[in-house]
Amino acid sequence: MSEEIILKTINLGKRYKNRWAAEDVNLEIHRGDVFGFLGPNGAGKSTTIRMIFSLIQPTTGSVELLGYRLETEREKALAKVAGIVEKPDFYLYLTACRNMEIAGSLTLGKTPQKQKIMDSLSLVGLEERAYDRVKTFSHGMKQRLGIAQALLCDPELIVLDEPTNGLDPQGMKEVRELIARLSKEHGMTVFLSSHLLNEVEQVATRMAIINKGKLVVQGSVDELLRSSANKILIIAEPRKKALDVMKKIKSVHSAAEDPSGIAATVETKDIPAVVAKLVTARCKVFSVQQQRSLEKYFLSVTEEN
Amino acid sequence: MRRCVSHTFGIIQKSQIVYSGRSPMFNLIYYELFKTYAKWRTYIGFIAVTIIIPLVMWAMKVEGGRFIQFQMRSLQNDFFITGNLFNGWIIAQLIMNSLWVHVPFLISLVAGDQLAGEATSGTFRLTLIRPVSRGRILNSKYITTLLYTASLVASIAVLSVGLGLLIFGSGDLLAIDRDMLTILPEAQLWPRFALAYGLGILSMWVVASLAFLFSSFVENAIGPIIATMAVMVALLVVSNLPVESVEPIKPYLFTTYGNVWQQAFKNPIDWGTIAKSCSVLAAHCVGFWLITLFVFRHKDILS
Repeated sequence: MSEEIILKTINLGKRYKNRWAAEDVNLEIHRGDVFGFLGPNGAGKSTTIRMIFSLIQPTTGSVELLGYRLETEREKALAKVAGIVEKPDFYLYLTACRNMEIAGSLTLGKTPQKQKIMDSLSLVGLEERAYDRVKTFSHGMKQRLGIAQALLCDPELIVLDEPTNGLDPQGMKEVRELIARLSKEHGMTVFLSSHLLNEVEQVATRMAIINKGKLVVQGSVDELLRSSANKILIIAEPRKKALDVMKKIKSVHSAAEDPSGIAATVETKDIPAVVAKLVTARCKVFSVQQQRSLEKYFLSVTEEN
Repeated sequence: MRRCVSHTFGIIQKSQIVYSGRSPMFNLIYYELFKTYAKWRTYIGFIAVTIIIPLVMWAMKVEGGRFIQFQMRSLQNDFFITGNLFNGWIIAQLIMNSLWVHVPFLISLVAGDQLAGEATSGTFRLTLIRPVSRGRILNSKYITTLLYTASLVASIAVLSVGLGLLIFGSGDLLAIDRDMLTILPEAQLWPRFALAYGLGILSMWVVASLAFLFSSFVENAIGPIIATMAVMVALLVVSNLPVESVEPIKPYLFTTYGNVWQQAFKNPIDWGTIAKSCSVLAAHCVGFWLITLFVFRHKDILS
């Protein structure tokens, strides 16, 4: 991963009357990252994204995009940045093609060529609807159109605010695949805000969690999840006997019955020995699952906060 | 173009984008005009004048000049009038007099929607995240609003003069002023009407600028329309109030100069009054635009 910081927020904060919607948010997104931005509803994700795009003015702090200060060099800072903020809204009375023209011309300063627009639309499967008014589109189609207009100008950083909202499972899968490819094959940096934890876990390389307007944690997904990596779930029969055996094993730090098996804390390197002892004790081991879940990690850090 | 995705999505290859040419500001105005004229509400004004003006013409035709005779009944005691004074020009002037009451409402329908409409539909989140300054976006919208206003007044001009001359024919214009009667020869009427409509456009630009200003404060278009009409009515009352205490503020109200277009039918034309009126109206336009610019540049987009 490149060390070049493509997006940096410095003590970014927004205060509404007596309430801080976001406070001292310090984000660092490196070139090539797929950066997951997690937080419960009302945590300050959208406020932060709106400040990154200068839709709202920060009360404190600043934003640097591609090395330019947003406050003083807005046009340069946003020249290679695109995205969808909250939900993709378009001029419903205009066609998809015309909406693409408008979005493209605002970034490029000139109308993009029709072929380029059609290529972008075909990438999201909307080429046949290019000349239909957007008011006839489903929410999922608007999401796809939002992605198409974001990609139209070859951005270096793409900010996607809950991009799989309203998509069917196949559509969600395809968006995730697209995000992964944007990063891997094209070196595009993706800032992905989502409340779907498994989505971030699947595609993100680095992430941050925001709660009650404050950044709780930030780092690589692997590093952050390592702390919960020792949790395993063993399904073995007879369960009581297996639990007794496990409690006697020194390398098992804790073991307790769980509705679906036995939840235990065991370091990864000791798992084969634990399984061997269970087999020796004539227990049938059906499965060993590592409980490495972003959901558990997310809940633990947000509840602590 | 390489396609490399399974079902729906592919990856767009980084490529040299070829543009079709227009200068950036012209491009912004082009798309603002396109957006404005693609909306149904934009045509309400045009449809209204297209219905009202022929209707008035038809009524005048049926009346057969009795309205003019009624207007001139006191003059006929002192003057012997010959020739066709009931012609297209006088009908056009009468329509101008009556339409200026309704035109501000029609203009505020579109001007009040320019900023508030984008806030309502959420499309500011599409446009204001682009590398274009808010000032330029606002200016393109403002210019579009002014162009729309001019086009509406021009359509009134074309309809009332064109249809008037077609139905009632041409002739000299009997311009009735408060303190004098002027008969303007036919040969002078084209430039005088052009001047009148030009001045009319300027006074309507002030109304459009006011509606545009109100549009920057709110997130739905109804508020700016009501606020504009409320301010118009209130200021018109003050402008026409024969009370000494309000006399000092009258010169500063744009409504005092709303009928500046009538100066085009004075003989001789009082260019000094026109210049003063135009200056006040233009100052209001610039003032409203500057306030709008300040508000819009500092506005948080929360919709």
